[in-house]
Amino acid sequence: MNLGISALDYIEAIKNGDFTIEEFVFETFDQIKKVDGKLHAYLSLNDKALDQAKELDKKRKAKEKIGSCMGMPIAIKDNICVKGTKTTCASKMLEKYTAPFDATVIARLRKQDALFIGKTNLDEFAMGTTTEFSAYGPSKNPWNQEYVPGGSSGGSAVAVSALESVVSLGSDTGGSVRNPASFCSIVGFKPTYGLVSRYGLISYANSIEQIGPMARTVKDTAFLLNVISGIDPNDNTTIDNHGEDYLKDIDSGIDGKKIGIISEMVGKGTDNAVSSATKKALTKFEDLGAKCEEISIDMVDYSVASYYTITSTEAGSNLARYDNIRYGFDFDLEGYEFNSYISKARRNFGPEVTRRLIIGGFVPSAGYAGKYFLKALKVKSRLTKEINSAFKKVDFLVAPTVPILPFKFGEKLDDPVAMFLIDFNTVTANLTGKPAISVPFEISHGLPIGIQIIADAMQEKSLFQAAYALESTTNLPKVPL
Amino acid sequence: MTKIGLEIHCQLTKLESKLFCSCKADYREFKPNTNICPVCVGLPGSLPRLNKKAIEKATVIAMALNCKTPQKIAFFRKNYFYPDLPKNFQITQLNIYGPTSIGQEGKISVEGKEIQIRRIQLEEDPGRLIYEGSSERTQITLVDYNRAGTPLVEIVTDPDFENPKQVRIFLNILSDLLENLGVSDPSLEGAMRADANVSIEGGAKVEIKNINSFYDLEKALHFELTRQQSLAERKIEIIQETRHWDDKRKITISARSKEEEEDYRYFLEGDIPWVVIELDIISRLKKGMPESISSKRERYIKDFDITSQVADVLSSDKFYSDLFEQAHDQKNAKEIANLITTDLMGFADTKEKRKESKLTAKHLADLANSIIENKITRNSSKNVLQTIVKSGKSVSQLISELDLGHVSDEAELSKIIDEVLKDESMAVEDAKQKPETINYLVGKVMKKTKGKADATLTLNLLKKKLA
Amino acid sequence: MVSKEEIEHVAKLMRIELDDHTVHIDRVQKMIEYFDILDKAGTESEELIINEQPLENLREDKYEPYGDRLIDKLKHYKEKFIRAPKMV
Repeated sequence: MNLGISALDYIEAIKNGDFTIEEFVFETFDQIKKVDGKLHAYLSLNDKALDQAKELDKKRKAKEKIGSCMGMPIAIKDNICVKGTKTTCASKMLEKYTAPFDATVIARLRKQDALFIGKTNLDEFAMGTTTEFSAYGPSKNPWNQEYVPGGSSGGSAVAVSALESVVSLGSDTGGSVRNPASFCSIVGFKPTYGLVSRYGLISYANSIEQIGPMARTVKDTAFLLNVISGIDPNDNTTIDNHGEDYLKDIDSGIDGKKIGIISEMVGKGTDNAVSSATKKALTKFEDLGAKCEEISIDMVDYSVASYYTITSTEAGSNLARYDNIRYGFDFDLEGYEFNSYISKARRNFGPEVTRRLIIGGFVPSAGYAGKYFLKALKVKSRLTKEINSAFKKVDFLVAPTVPILPFKFGEKLDDPVAMFLIDFNTVTANLTGKPAISVPFEISHGLPIGIQIIADAMQEKSLFQAAYALESTTNLPKVPL
Repeated sequence: MTKIGLEIHCQLTKLESKLFCSCKADYREFKPNTNICPVCVGLPGSLPRLNKKAIEKATVIAMALNCKTPQKIAFFRKNYFYPDLPKNFQITQLNIYGPTSIGQEGKISVEGKEIQIRRIQLEEDPGRLIYEGSSERTQITLVDYNRAGTPLVEIVTDPDFENPKQVRIFLNILSDLLENLGVSDPSLEGAMRADANVSIEGGAKVEIKNINSFYDLEKALHFELTRQQSLAERKIEIIQETRHWDDKRKITISARSKEEEEDYRYFLEGDIPWVVIELDIISRLKKGMPESISSKRERYIKDFDITSQVADVLSSDKFYSDLFEQAHDQKNAKEIANLITTDLMGFADTKEKRKESKLTAKHLADLANSIIENKITRNSSKNVLQTIVKSGKSVSQLISELDLGHVSDEAELSKIIDEVLKDESMAVEDAKQKPETINYLVGKVMKKTKGKADATLTLNLLKKKLA
Repeated sequence: MVSKEEIEHVAKLMRIELDDHTVHIDRVQKMIEYFDILDKAGTESEELIINEQPLENLREDKYEPYGDRLIDKLKHYKEKFIRAPKMV
């Protein structure tokens, strides 16, 4: 049995009777046993998964119809609520928190009989780019375990890359799905803001984040998007996609399309290996019939500052509810006054979250809001205008997903600004609400490089066409496990 | 010059559900923490779902207070930590990016003085804190989130009030207005709360919070004005600060440290896109608004010749003005209005009594018509009304049961009067010196006729006979 | 330059007890300094982009009880209340 099978091939295999759901899930747990001790993709596992697989097989045997996912193993980032499971956001603040309801995306996957294998590791409360800020220990990159897997959805990327799941869900606030996808050589997709419901996604920066599918092929992410996307009455910010089918015509190609390479994202600060991979990608695009040109988006240079100002402000507010009064962890409140109790309880936030909360209290505060927060919002507006103009000239924007190669653990921990700049190429899509995808393109000295494609709002269909076309030019080695 | 401004919070108790979720808006019947859901308790991953009717009702309130209503409204977060605030921020409205709250720049007249309404905003109520045992000794507070998320309309006035009496009148007008619009029942406990700011000539503005009832508000205002005036007399500076009303000791106490240091870090609520209220929706809402109290009052006076006192009372009572509208025609309107305000309101005054009353619009019409047609005297109407309220029996049935005919035959009445004059020879003598004794004699005639004598005729006949 | 006192003040505002201020303060200062780049963006006159929805989009005013006994799943006291330390 090939655990590296794509989601669509898995579905075909189940339909053909090549193996049962139970057999596949059993092998998956076997693989987890083999590798996760070292890789630490998972924070918790679903001990009922095998029983659930058996149930689905029984139904199929009885010729009952089951959902389109056919018991496909899926790993869920631990900041997404799955009813009855521990949902910790990789934080000590939620050590004992069990989600009492399903996120909308989970309910939709459940309806289609996806099988939840477990909850995956992340940077605490999704704040980070390497999974080093998880309160439960980092995840390791399967391509080289001394290197970070990217973040914040590191665990979800590792699970898919290391064949511990067929597909996974992550969340992307500033690149948190695309970045680890690029570092682990898998596909990671961030939808248009509002396309996928955030109900049940534990908020970090609610005005820009989205849940995104992660898989080994572009078609798989399109398939997952079909299941999870669409308007949700539980989330006022969702938009109606009128039941769009993202798999249909995905192989139409990109002949005649115009591609803009964002000059600010391939300049200074880009590793040589990444530069050359990007140049190669452009050649491939042209081979496929597209026309490439350089495009400058001025505000990109201010996008990281704008992003961290806005997200820490929102995080400061979104994380205010974690005071350990209603849920959280064990800490007796006898003998305390309200403010001193909650201040002590909130010491359970890790160091990076603590820093972001302080920044998040500072930049919108009276006296500083004009200097930082409002300016950041204005940069966001101008950036959106600039990218909208760009899309009048080209169909897609392209850049390397991450300006640098994956790096070793601890390398960036001492330099917060260097840590910020890992997101340099990805935050633009979040700030402007545009859909973006990372396609695994090359392995350089054993380390993965991904290419990012961005499209205009609600243009997922064309985006997948471009991504699929690029993917078809690649021939990547298997993960060295 | 004394300046008083108000910040009034009104719950929209007539809505079915809370502002951001489908839990019940009126939480009063529920056991603690049984009217909650992930949204109003602010569980991780929950998102607000804005209530359409709340926007509509709040817009109607804004229009009733003559406010400007913007075409696009937005919600903001007010960030602070408190045990009754499940998310440790409140979703509310502000006007920091231009006019974005549900209403601005309105006005309302209070006894001829125009009070400017600075703004009206929609926001969510927090939960309730309950103290087990004596609140001084216990270290623990118990929290009940049943109320968290209840829709509130906050009305902020300019400091246009000159004295506490004006404030009281304004609050009554506002209560009646909200009840008349059908958006809130102000008599429910906690449905309307108010904070105030007070300043006297030469002094800084002092905010007063923690006032739990309108009765307390008036007391607090009187206390605070006295406090400030005594400081001014002793040439002590009145500093700008926030004070809390201490309900037990009936005084205001300084609460400065907490309030001053709070920095709410206001920013837009990203989970709620700005709501666009098109002009056709505004006109639909305007058309659907119930008639205003002042308009009813004018109409009653103009069309039905009802006195202004009666019109005042009737128009500002929604229950009875509705009943009046159902019962009257052009001929009996004045009589019905009098019956309601003079008699009926006196004994069917509480909410329960009104609910239990068996009196219908038809009863009122029949009774009024019987009086006009001289089938029954106005004197007996009180008794009849009370009986109808309790039994629901028809007017005609009661006229016969209670033997309530109308004695208006002059000869018959003359005979009875002669009898009374014979029995009351002393009063007859007194009447020569003190003309008001005639009322005593009228009373005796009424008693003898069991109230059926026509009052005017009796008086005239008595006058004639005594002369 | 952000001062140590300002950062301590904000930590209090955010209700986070910091035992070793300097560890965080250095890094927070560096992070905030990076944001000064926003002054160079030249976007003073920029209008904020608004995310809109029509009134019709909103939820109908209907009471729907949640169903689950949610209080049982939270830190509860006597199965009825949430306990919190008193605000002084």
